[in-house]
Amino acid sequence: MFVQVTNALLEGFWESLKVFGLTLLFSIPLGLVICFGSMSKWAPLDFLSKSKDSFFEKFKPIQWLCKGLVWVVRGTPLMLQLIVIFYGPGLMFDLPLLPRFTATIVAFSLNYACYFSEIYRGGIESIATGQYEAGQVLGMTKTQIFFKVVLLQVVKRIMAPMSNEIITLVKDTSLARIISVYEIIWAGESFIKKGLIWPLFYTGAFYLIFNGLLTILFARLEKKLSYFRG
Amino acid sequence: MAVLEVKNIRKSFGKTNVLKGVSFSLEKGQVLAIIGSSGSGKTTLLRCLNFLETPDVGEIWVDGKLLRSGSEKLSEQQVRENRLHFGLVFQNFNLFPQYNVLKNVMLAPQLLKKGTAKELEERAKQLLDQVGLSEKLDSYPYQLSGGQQQRVAIARALALSPQVLCFDEPTSALDPELTGEVLRVIRGLKNADSTMTVVTHEMEFARSVADVVMYMADGVIEEIGTPEQVFGNPQSEKTKAFLRGAHEKF
Repeated sequence: MFVQVTNALLEGFWESLKVFGLTLLFSIPLGLVICFGSMSKWAPLDFLSKSKDSFFEKFKPIQWLCKGLVWVVRGTPLMLQLIVIFYGPGLMFDLPLLPRFTATIVAFSLNYACYFSEIYRGGIESIATGQYEAGQVLGMTKTQIFFKVVLLQVVKRIMAPMSNEIITLVKDTSLARIISVYEIIWAGESFIKKGLIWPLFYTGAFYLIFNGLLTILFARLEKKLSYFRG
Repeated sequence: MAVLEVKNIRKSFGKTNVLKGVSFSLEKGQVLAIIGSSGSGKTTLLRCLNFLETPDVGEIWVDGKLLRSGSEKLSEQQVRENRLHFGLVFQNFNLFPQYNVLKNVMLAPQLLKKGTAKELEERAKQLLDQVGLSEKLDSYPYQLSGGQQQRVAIARALALSPQVLCFDEPTSALDPELTGEVLRVIRGLKNADSTMTVVTHEMEFARSVADVVMYMADGVIEEIGTPEQVFGNPQSEKTKAFLRGAHEKF
């Protein structure tokens, strides 16, 4: 019985891990895009402004868009976002529904990208301007400064908050079942019908072990980056 | 002919006029020391030379080439090319913490493709030897004292062979016992015929190393001349008061 349950839960956990892995794959780079967007100073109508602090000078569409997106995504429950992304297009615009799994990945990626973008932004803004200026006076391009000077320092600084979010993501995957995506909690719960409650409790062990492994991995990464300070 | 010629630089931040028309020129191999109290515009002047600030008005010429003309918009590419005529050593060193000493010096020349990896490494080692740090090639900035970090920063700036090397209060962030080693390196560069502009509070150093001393007050050059003139026989009342104050401090 135990083996049978374990196998069923492993199958469910594999689905959870797919959500986890794909979400990370998409949200880590997407977060960077949103982060750059919310730091964008592009003010296309600036040339119309006649005085300091005029509307035209403050009109930064990319920044507004990205900050608005982050506000909405962080301000509403992920569970609700899953429902809206899955049912919304059909109900509002009569579009065909996305496959459940795809909708899950879209909702999770967008949600986590917004959180990541704020972590990135904090990291980037914490780098002293002197680092940028040192790169500038040495004739580096903006891209070179970002990738060769700033990036690794940012990565080091955001390790702790990123590991927090990533561990939360492992557990959040269980929300996917609100739109009927099979995952480990569902797998555990399905045994209740057969009169078994312990498989549901047992699912906790899978999360624990996996998050334990992640914790070890993050500790290793942090150690790897401990060769410098700053 | 003058290596550096600065004509009527003006710069204001909002309503504050930081530079109100600064002009001077510097011959090849000369060392200019800029002294003055904080807020007098010394640092802003250096930052204008290094294209970290855009002056509102004024011209910057190096070797007879006009690099900056007022607030005229330059392309990023142009700014990068032009600023390479200058080097800047910061008050807080601003070394790159994730790279060792050798890589700190080599990084920019490598990115700018100034030579093969081997040539650049040779050159970097030679420069680090010049500043007395050939033992520290593999150290990371946090493992070095402030004085050592600043010497790495000098080698890093020299690696791009700027025509004019600028120092922004190079010893102000250092413990008093560490200023000597940095000043010795700068003195050594003078002997190697580098053209330099040094913003400093070290009056003794300015007096002994500089060919030209410039005293700035309220965004203008209050007095400029040889160290003997400015320190020995200042003409302006403001200069006299400043020097008295600076003297009393020590």
